[in-house]
Amino acid sequence: MDKTLEKTGIPTTEQVESAFPPQERLDEGAVAIIECFQRIPCNPCATSCPRGAIVPFEDINDTPVIKNENCNGCTLCITKCPGLAIMVVDTTWKDPAGLDRALIKLPYEFRPLPAVGDEVIATDRAGAFVTKAEVVQVLLNHAMNKVPIVTIAVEKSLMRTVRGIHLDARQRAVVCRCNDLDEADIAAYIAGGATSIDELKRVTRLGMGPCQGRNCVPIVQGMLARTLGVPVAELSPGTYRPTVKSIALGDLAEYDSARDELGDGEK
Amino acid sequence: MRFTENTHPILDFKRGAPITFTFDGVTVAAFEGEPIAVALHAAGVRTLATSLGEQKRPRGLYCAIGNCSSCMMVVDGVSNVKSCIELVRDGMVVETQHDKGAL
Repeated sequence: MDKTLEKTGIPTTEQVESAFPPQERLDEGAVAIIECFQRIPCNPCATSCPRGAIVPFEDINDTPVIKNENCNGCTLCITKCPGLAIMVVDTTWKDPAGLDRALIKLPYEFRPLPAVGDEVIATDRAGAFVTKAEVVQVLLNHAMNKVPIVTIAVEKSLMRTVRGIHLDARQRAVVCRCNDLDEADIAAYIAGGATSIDELKRVTRLGMGPCQGRNCVPIVQGMLARTLGVPVAELSPGTYRPTVKSIALGDLAEYDSARDELGDGEK
Repeated sequence: MRFTENTHPILDFKRGAPITFTFDGVTVAAFEGEPIAVALHAAGVRTLATSLGEQKRPRGLYCAIGNCSSCMMVVDGVSNVKSCIELVRDGMVVETQHDKGAL
């Protein structure tokens, strides 16, 4: 299957690698890592940098080019990027614990914010667990465009893998909220040979609750596509039958009288 | 839901007039113009209904746009009301819905 950013929403290893400066620059101190790979009309990073470290755009659709020698890792651009595509990495931090850790400064727009000293879960670009990380600093002030910056310390070997945090381990990923099905339940049925929504529906009641499959079916189609190696477009969409949305019987009963009053064209 | 009232990362809140309604017999303060589920969330209520599967897991505010059917409650005696898109009214009687709800 196509593993490009356009298909998965996750940059490829080559793209991530291209965003990092050479090792010699990383050894010199904090530097911004800009993971902005698609041409879109957006330039606040270039206009906000007070040190000219992001080369001014010739065309507003340009993707940013960073002059590593001008960047001092001040984090101002992190708060300006609407896509939260920028982080700052510092491999020269003097780790008080004496471990071989680097600092990663990440934009984090959720509440509650973590506190300094908290242990959080560090995730990769796909959101999957990588390691546990210590929160070293949490910054938010009026000049930060409502974008808090959370600084975490992670092993240097994981510096290129970690790109996010969340605050507590999720015990289970619910797929079907109506009929109590977890991702693990569905994965087991797919591993057992199920290849379509309709098969899963007959066994599990997936898609037959009051939400009418609006939540579970897209998720499960994605799971089927990934497991079977087939694009979603080639999978059976499954059978849909009315009513698409739950309707009170009273509303249907009122339909005739409303039509009598308003005429056919009105309702 | 990771934010509580007044601490949304981006939005400011403009509130309507204060009103009260009851949730499972308990009086709850709310503001005009809020959906029922939002008023309950602000009051700390996280369980609005239970799932229809055998496990009867708690269900709360999820999609908040009337799609997911996780927040169906009994409102003034009528069951299966989507509390995330039904605005709260003064004196409303709201109850947790267990199972499918009576027609």
